[in-house]
Amino acid sequence: MESVLAYRISVDTGGTFTDVIVTDTKGHMTIGKALTTRDRISVGMKEAISAAAGELGISLEDLLGQSDLLIYGTTRATNAIVTKTVAKTAFVTTEGFPDILLLKEGGKFNPHDFTEEYPDPYIPRRHTFEIAERIDAQGRATTPLNEALARQTLETIRDRGFEAIAVCLIWSIANPEHELKIGAMIQEIMPDVPFTLSHQLIPIVREYRRASATAIDASLKPLMQSHLRGLETDLRDTGYAGEILVSTTAGGCNHVEALVEKPIYTIGSGPAMAPIAGLTFSEAEDMGDNVIICDTGGTTFDVGLVRDSRLTFSRDTWLGGLYTGDLLGISSVDMRSIGAGGGSIAWVDEGGLMRVGPQSAGADPGPACYGNGGEDPTVSDAAVVLGYFDPDYFLGGRMTLDVEAARLAVKRVADQAGYTVEETAYRIMGLASDLMMRAISDITINEGFNPRESTIVAGGGAAGVNIMTIANELGCNRVILPKVASALSAAGMQFADIVAEEATSLVSLSNRFDMDAVNATLADLEDRLETFRRTLPGGGDRYRLEYVAEARYLAQVWELDTPLTVPRFNSQADLDALVEAFHQVHERVFAVRDEGSPVEIVTWKVRLVVQISEPPVATGAIDATTEAKSATTTRECYFGDATAVTTPIHKASDIVPGNRIMGPAIIEEPTTTLVVYPGMSATVSAAGNYRLDVS
Amino acid sequence: MTEAKNEKFDSYMTAIIANRVDGIIREMTNTLLRAARSAVINSARDFSCSICTGDNRLLAAAEGLPIHIFGSHMQSKAMTDFNDDIREGDCYLHNDPYSGNTHAADHTFLVPVFIDGEHLFTAVAKAHQADIGNSLPTTYMAGAKDQYEEGALIFPAVRIQRDYTNIEDVVRMCRSRIRVPGQWYGDYLAGIGSARIGERRLKELCEKYGKDTIKSFIRDWFDYSEERMAQAISKLPKSTLKNSGAHDPYGDLLPEGIPLNVELRIDPEERMIDVDLTDNIDNVDCGLNESEACASASTIAGVFNSLDPTVPRNSGSFRRIRLHLRDGAIAGRPKFPHCCSVSTTNVADRLINIVQSAFAEIGDGFGLAEGGVGMGAGFAVVSGKDDRAENEPYVNQLIIASSGGPASPVADGWITYGIPVVAGLMYRDSVEIDELKHPLQFQYLRIVTGSGGAGRNRGAPAMEISYGPTELPMDVLWPCDGTIYAPQGVRGGDAGSACQHFKVSANGFEEELPSIVEVQLKKGEKVRGNHSGGGGYGDPLDRDPRKVLKDVLERYETAERAREIYGVVLTGSGDDESLALDAAATRKLRSERAAA
Repeated sequence: MESVLAYRISVDTGGTFTDVIVTDTKGHMTIGKALTTRDRISVGMKEAISAAAGELGISLEDLLGQSDLLIYGTTRATNAIVTKTVAKTAFVTTEGFPDILLLKEGGKFNPHDFTEEYPDPYIPRRHTFEIAERIDAQGRATTPLNEALARQTLETIRDRGFEAIAVCLIWSIANPEHELKIGAMIQEIMPDVPFTLSHQLIPIVREYRRASATAIDASLKPLMQSHLRGLETDLRDTGYAGEILVSTTAGGCNHVEALVEKPIYTIGSGPAMAPIAGLTFSEAEDMGDNVIICDTGGTTFDVGLVRDSRLTFSRDTWLGGLYTGDLLGISSVDMRSIGAGGGSIAWVDEGGLMRVGPQSAGADPGPACYGNGGEDPTVSDAAVVLGYFDPDYFLGGRMTLDVEAARLAVKRVADQAGYTVEETAYRIMGLASDLMMRAISDITINEGFNPRESTIVAGGGAAGVNIMTIANELGCNRVILPKVASALSAAGMQFADIVAEEATSLVSLSNRFDMDAVNATLADLEDRLETFRRTLPGGGDRYRLEYVAEARYLAQVWELDTPLTVPRFNSQADLDALVEAFHQVHERVFAVRDEGSPVEIVTWKVRLVVQISEPPVATGAIDATTEAKSATTTRECYFGDATAVTTPIHKASDIVPGNRIMGPAIIEEPTTTLVVYPGMSATVSAAGNYRLDVS
Repeated sequence: MTEAKNEKFDSYMTAIIANRVDGIIREMTNTLLRAARSAVINSARDFSCSICTGDNRLLAAAEGLPIHIFGSHMQSKAMTDFNDDIREGDCYLHNDPYSGNTHAADHTFLVPVFIDGEHLFTAVAKAHQADIGNSLPTTYMAGAKDQYEEGALIFPAVRIQRDYTNIEDVVRMCRSRIRVPGQWYGDYLAGIGSARIGERRLKELCEKYGKDTIKSFIRDWFDYSEERMAQAISKLPKSTLKNSGAHDPYGDLLPEGIPLNVELRIDPEERMIDVDLTDNIDNVDCGLNESEACASASTIAGVFNSLDPTVPRNSGSFRRIRLHLRDGAIAGRPKFPHCCSVSTTNVADRLINIVQSAFAEIGDGFGLAEGGVGMGAGFAVVSGKDDRAENEPYVNQLIIASSGGPASPVADGWITYGIPVVAGLMYRDSVEIDELKHPLQFQYLRIVTGSGGAGRNRGAPAMEISYGPTELPMDVLWPCDGTIYAPQGVRGGDAGSACQHFKVSANGFEEELPSIVEVQLKKGEKVRGNHSGGGGYGDPLDRDPRKVLKDVLERYETAERAREIYGVVLTGSGDDESLALDAAATRKLRSERAAA
């Protein structure tokens, strides 16, 4: 995609803020932010783009007129699920198995807690319809599809006014014939009603995972079709003539049409862009391609991983919590979220133990320091007590903080815990950091990935407060806080590739390996992607294909993603290489390998990655560091001791590339605050990012 | 273990290290789940990880199954009692119900963790095996008259690794006796891997914080946990509660079943609870006897179910419970060589039920109804030969259907509850995975409408299931309960439905099965049946009519039961989405019922 035009725009529409990043031809990034508008999403989007245009000193019309690509990310689908405003959807499944969505996969947290109600299924039981048919594990139709009865059932669904249909039959992945027939009948009986067939959306074994993904996808279709097409119309109306792409949870972006077909891929697509930004910034700073991405918001802390320049994926993403939520099931970028952030509340329990969370002050009333009547001490209040925020210049002056209210709130915990207010505040910060550190450990150490050998890229408005102590605790000495940390997902979209993935379930054993069948499968997957690639502007000619086996030892049931080194199997050596690659992955994750056991590949995946942007050239480290201009102001800040330390406060506008700032110090950016702890330091790179030294 | 030095309770550091210890157990758990071979572990999560101190106190157990973890310190004690040359690099296999284990099927891997030469912790990974070499292909030998007839290899804390290397004699013994030895060996590797990860992380923890801080933490964590328990008990009224229940009859041996009695003495001033099981019958010559670990764990679980659920579970909080067990009692300390093969479930489930429902006698807002009991067809151990894999043998426990959870003072029962000893923690198999791994096919698996015990809060409904082999004969064994004695409601709540099972011949003839089943099914034959529903809490006439409407809409209840039992009148029909509440008629009907 050669371009003579000046700008590329990315839009991340979050629940509260819409973040926009505009990149010019030199790769310089400009941030625009606005409140998200619920009624017509493009209003907030336009405001945020206008804000960025203002920063650039041009009009909105000129910016749009001079842009060739706009990448759009949205939480619209997620919000619809949370607020239960998805389409009225029918669940069609095999007779005898109506409760797949109700029963899920079992599991629960506290065995002694009987206060919680069992969660409702994603689609109510009264919207579930059973079809007389049955395929067995070998793909044989042990009960043929009763087409007359199926037709009656579908007519009932039509008459009762369902807006979408999810079809998931037992073993449809072994033989899709019955699902296909039902699909054809739906098209005939109610051509306007969108539907999803499980074997097409997510060809994996395990009926709940398939059913859940299928139900979610179908329920989003009416809504997301009108949302995405409406967005396209609105943009065209403003005179924008360039390409429009939508970010996806598969870790790339794609056409509006592709997401209208599989809207489930828009869920979590914003956070899925953060690792792309993380990798890009790490490589640009010459800090390698093993990256931990942390995104700190007001209520959640998201963490993801890039390993050897590859994004990591998971099929275990739950909407609304493990066990009790709904499983996404599709292979999506593995960003894990915990409930911890500036709003997390500190308390002391009956036994005298200090705690932080899981309760959060949320946005209303918010932390005590916001002065909206909140009385519970939050992590943000602790930061205020410690002197980390300028109460008169919070968020670049958009908000004034009530220090007295923060102190009073923290004092309530201090009195119970037996520390001073400042010691307590520091410990509240410590407990919050510990929660975040555990979340990072879960995705790294627990999966055989050493944080000491990787780079942390921190994003989100609240990241700078404790990222250095978290990195120190993990023993990770390479840390970057990008200049655009507060819009990390929108930044990631700027570097996203067009990504499409096809997968097939073909169970293959390493000791009875059918090379021809596997090669035919891989060829078929390639063909499908090739057809798609040709639809791309310019033929998508800068592309690569990645091949992955979802594999396990025979008789295990949980698969590990194992990359293939060759696109086809031509010899025993090719197969041996795959087996060895699996042993290595297994040993890395589970500390053991079982040489004697056959390896079973359950799903074959091919991923098409079409490059549409130029990664920034690595600027490398700054050779000579210089002293920053001495800080114009100081504040009394606390770093764990009972007494305060007089701490220099640096404004971002006073700092230039090459400056090194020794802790203790505070750096105030318009959208984030960086705390440099005693003994640590921060250096501004040539690109304007902060490189943090925590050793 | 020498004593900690620092005297002051550190409210912050205790929280931090407790989080770390919890994280270590979660990592052990993840390893065992994902790396294991048998479905009973890798699909159903029938295992538990925990950490004990070097002086054999249970320190932490994260999300372990209640029945598994309350006794792991007894097993680490067996390890230190029986072996005087424990050293770094050792691992011990323990499955002896007479020295601290639950039952022989739970292979437990004990790794002593040494810090500067001092045995500071034991990492414990306990997993229910698919097979342990019993005389029949099941890990639940209900009919065995003693431990000899049960036939499992018994390992009373036997060293299985030295210097981080297998002691192959012991591995060979297992491989020579256990069915499908490759499956066992895969699970063995997963179990060892889990305990070793615990060891590695505990060493890192001690290195980071220093041994003194860790010792202070251990002391503080036990004191904190004890205080939390003491506070929970102090909120209860002083009372003595007696309760009884019974396990189903079993053949000629137990024509009336097994009567069970418990007495609870709650003393809020002393902040102690006494749990007395001494008034129970002697051991019987079958596999239904409780091991000491299970008798303790199940009654303690019943107590924990009835208190603040955030009280930590460890030897600190256990200090506030005095347990009274009798030697030679069926629910006490067993007399050798009685068989405890089924001790983790049947009688244990009943003990949990009678303890938690005893608390309900205190008043509204206390205790729980009885949870659904019985490991029926959905929990069967199936075995045979797989025609799809060159007639390779297979053996495994299905964990796919569930009994309904008990209603509580504030919520309806949990649907995927399983049985009381697992309380919803276990995962369920997938129909497709079970059919992929075993040559069998399911005909149905679903909720039974109207099977949950009615009440102000409703017990969860039961599930029903049907399956049979696809080609070659299949042995199907299960030790059910709850076919005769259904799970009871409390405070005016109704009982859940009882279990009921049938063998279905190829021509459709149905033969009702007893609670405890050993059948062989040929091609075309099936078993079918339903598990039990959970008991209700409180008077059904007090249930919010809108909840009853939702129950009928969602087919948990029928319109008939809504009217007859709940006194709720509905109009319209679910089929055309017109079902609605007739509030006036409901008020009238309910006041008539209340007056009657």
